[in-house]
Amino acid sequence: MHNSSTAPTTKTKVGSLLPTDASFKRKRGVFQKDLQHMMYGFGDDPNPLPETVTLVEDIVVEYVTDLVHKAQEIASKRGKLLTEDFLFLIRKDSPKLHRCTELLSMNEELKQARKAFEVDEEKLASAD
Amino acid sequence: MKQSKDPFEAAFEEEQESLPDSPVAPDELETQTPAATVVAFDAPDDDPGINIRSGQPSTSAAAQSTATTAGKTKEEEDEEEEENMDVELGKFPSSADPDKMAKMQAILSQFTEQQMSRYESFRRSGFQKANMKRLLASITGNPKISVPMTIVVSGIAKMFVGELVETGRMIMTERRETGPIRPCHIREAYRRLKLEGKVPKRSVPRLFR
Repeated sequence: MHNSSTAPTTKTKVGSLLPTDASFKRKRGVFQKDLQHMMYGFGDDPNPLPETVTLVEDIVVEYVTDLVHKAQEIASKRGKLLTEDFLFLIRKDSPKLHRCTELLSMNEELKQARKAFEVDEEKLASAD
Repeated sequence: MKQSKDPFEAAFEEEQESLPDSPVAPDELETQTPAATVVAFDAPDDDPGINIRSGQPSTSAAAQSTATTAGKTKEEEDEEEEENMDVELGKFPSSADPDKMAKMQAILSQFTEQQMSRYESFRRSGFQKANMKRLLASITGNPKISVPMTIVVSGIAKMFVGELVETGRMIMTERRETGPIRPCHIREAYRRLKLEGKVPKRSVPRLFR
């Protein structure tokens, strides 16, 4: 499975590619930098092998794809894809479920804190 | 492997530089004021998993006290900051549990430099929201992906990477190999995770594989 036939341009991030573009051109190396740090954090070498990083990226993209397809199957009755569908999928995996609920609640807290911050800013501005 | 400089990293490195001078003592950690530093920075992205800096004006006023940062890490600031927010919002997540926090601080204070850098990478790393959003949009076909969905999928994917890498390391110790993880280890790890059922299987079996 040699990907030497793919043009080198596919490695670059095509910013002009609109999200509505239904092309299935998958750029490789999209998550390379993030994955390197992540793998080091989880126990790999400070400089992971590039082929390992590429393989992990492929596996992760396939994982996310399958996850999303399954979530869409669950959500097909409802019509819209919601976050709850993902939470339903990982309900058996308690560390992941726990982490996701934690992330969501932190996001909510941040949103409220930012709202409160803006309100205070307004008050300060009007008080001047 | 230098990450791009964002204000939180800069502040964190500032703290790290002060570490060799200050001796690590448990009582120092306990007397630290919560959210002492860096609260004034506004979070450029709302990824709660990594850059937890809420623009709370009340804490920023108190934030001018210098941080005697013996072993104080971003993670502790996160937990302490969550504690502040909890008091105001009336929520009590388990991460604000004082027992757990004390344990965490005790562990963190004893980290070697290598362990600390690895832990820092572990906490700070994550998938770029924009890239994940683009990937999700291309999979679903729907260009509009909500932010919580991106957050959830990024979190799930990060934990999956963790499972892969840790299983890979386990395999390496079984085979008594050293060095960076190689693709063969990852493939074996992936195979084992599939057997454990941690990888979503396609409901329709792929023909002509």
